[in-house]
Amino acid sequence: MVDIQAKLKEIGPFVEEPDDDLLVCRCEEVTKGQIRKAVHEGIFTLEEMRRYLRSGMGLCQGQTCGKLVKSIIASELKVSPAEVVPASSRAPMRPIEMCILAEDGGGCDE
Amino acid sequence: MKIERYDMIVIGAGPAGLSAAIEAAKKGLKPIVFDENARPGGQLFKQIHKFFGSKEHKAKVRGFKIGEELLEEAEEYGVEVILNATVVGLYPEKEVTVKIGDKVKHYKGDAILVATGASENMVNFEGWTKPGVIGAGAAQTMMNLHHIKPGNRILMLGSGNVGLVVSYQLMQAGCEVVALADAAPRVGGYGVHAAKVARCGVPFYLSHTIVKVEGDECVTGVVIGQVGPDWKVIPGTEKHFDVDTVCLAVGLSPMSQLLKQAEVKMNDTKGGHVPECDKHGATSVPGIYAAGDVSGIEEASSAMIEGRMSGTAIACYLGYMTEEERDSRIDELEKQLDTLRQGMFAPKNRGKLVEKTDEGIDVSMNLLNKGFVTDDEIERFPGVTHQKGIHPVIECTQNIPCNPCQDACKMGCIRIGENITSLPAIDPEKKCIGCGMCVASCSGQSIFLVEEDVEEGYGEVTMPYEFLPVPEVGDRGVALGRNGQYVCDAEVTKVRIAPAFDHTYLLTIKVPNDMVMRARFYKKEA
Repeated sequence: MVDIQAKLKEIGPFVEEPDDDLLVCRCEEVTKGQIRKAVHEGIFTLEEMRRYLRSGMGLCQGQTCGKLVKSIIASELKVSPAEVVPASSRAPMRPIEMCILAEDGGGCDE
Repeated sequence: MKIERYDMIVIGAGPAGLSAAIEAAKKGLKPIVFDENARPGGQLFKQIHKFFGSKEHKAKVRGFKIGEELLEEAEEYGVEVILNATVVGLYPEKEVTVKIGDKVKHYKGDAILVATGASENMVNFEGWTKPGVIGAGAAQTMMNLHHIKPGNRILMLGSGNVGLVVSYQLMQAGCEVVALADAAPRVGGYGVHAAKVARCGVPFYLSHTIVKVEGDECVTGVVIGQVGPDWKVIPGTEKHFDVDTVCLAVGLSPMSQLLKQAEVKMNDTKGGHVPECDKHGATSVPGIYAAGDVSGIEEASSAMIEGRMSGTAIACYLGYMTEEERDSRIDELEKQLDTLRQGMFAPKNRGKLVEKTDEGIDVSMNLLNKGFVTDDEIERFPGVTHQKGIHPVIECTQNIPCNPCQDACKMGCIRIGENITSLPAIDPEKKCIGCGMCVASCSGQSIFLVEEDVEEGYGEVTMPYEFLPVPEVGDRGVALGRNGQYVCDAEVTKVRIAPAFDHTYLLTIKVPNDMVMRARFYKKEA
């Protein structure tokens, strides 16, 4: 279990950087600055980041930005990317229309 | 809710998935293969270049032909392939949910093979979301499947085999590749691939990365800069190029989420999130297997063998063959796989600087830093000799698993030997007849025929040529050196094509005698 307060103290305060407005998750339009800031608010895992900022929750489901977000979190936490807890995988693995998903299992009327 | 049952469900109809299904079907299983794309074959149908390897591994066959052969074999053995079928869920009970049309269908397999392949990595820099910044895979899809030119002036980022091969294909499609950049200090892909790009005049910028992409509505330019040891751009090293397209070939990551979802034990590696597998591709969940790029990035040839291994293992797992039968087949396949994993680019050498060949020859550092072997360096390789009369000059300078040239020469001029990663050597005792079969058979386009004194003061160089329009006899143009720079004027004296050349033209140019060892590409004058 990570001691969030201790880790926050260790990594120091959020410092603005010139490329903070760089888009990282283009599907959900999340910037590098937002992700870095979120780390300083205690978001240390990809799973939490997805819920907090919606990075990796769009059309490509993090296929494009997953690795990038991971490396940003890692560098902010001053650890190697392998130490950042990855997001869990769950169905549907690919974007799917709600009406199709709702029909799964025999249809809504049954 | 209806659940359909199958012996074997394969997710992904690429080289690994199809090979596995074929192998299992041969043993009497009834596999079903799902693929989310409209066409089967995975990446194979985008590959228009000749593959490396040995004869048994379909070396010198173009990728899309291998794809066609695989599809024919799948049909012959009754493998059912469902296209436009997106697998959205995989569960430890070996149940699969698939979106087909506007329905989600449920299937259960006695065994499941995940062969979902990989997706391209991204890097981000200022302007990376502008229209005109594309992945190398997208460029290949546009050119080779849809016959659309991705752009006119292109900068390629990435010097691995994907970046090199796609750069060459972009030029074949009529695009201008203005530069090839890579943040790494050395070319990552095969030297022969780099050399054929460099000799066309593409400058290589190693230790360089993209600073920003310019343009309002779309890409109009790109700035690259040299990176220091901390991977940050050194101020003052920026270079600007006018381009309309920036192509990214910065690696692949396994698409392994389905495996993770099925609670397979995963390992987080440098090469991505991969399942823990035994040598048959069996994961930690009994009955669930993985093969191809999803279990670690390699290339299509090894994916096909891995697929066949998993297909064999599954046939045994389901009782369609004995363990002895399985083991003997696996042994045979493992040997093939081992051959492909030899040489300088073997998985164990990834990221390492190999300074000497197996023969003890110093590797060309210019090849690694600039993409071409210099005129001085080329002389030390065993494929390069000076003889009276026509003879092959083989500019193959790294130990890679490939040997078609040896069999291509009926006169026995070319010797590789038992070990297919050895550098080809010329036997000066044997007489070259100038048939050009070696030139056309070399997947790396690294063989040239050279002859001095064809007429007073002039000699001839015969080179592989894969661009359109094909030059005609009598055309006058310029000869470029290995570095893509002008070396002399040249006249086309022969243009040969034959079915056995498989679309590689043999272009012969006349150049001054002292240029026969330097002229390596022909360009019609601009």
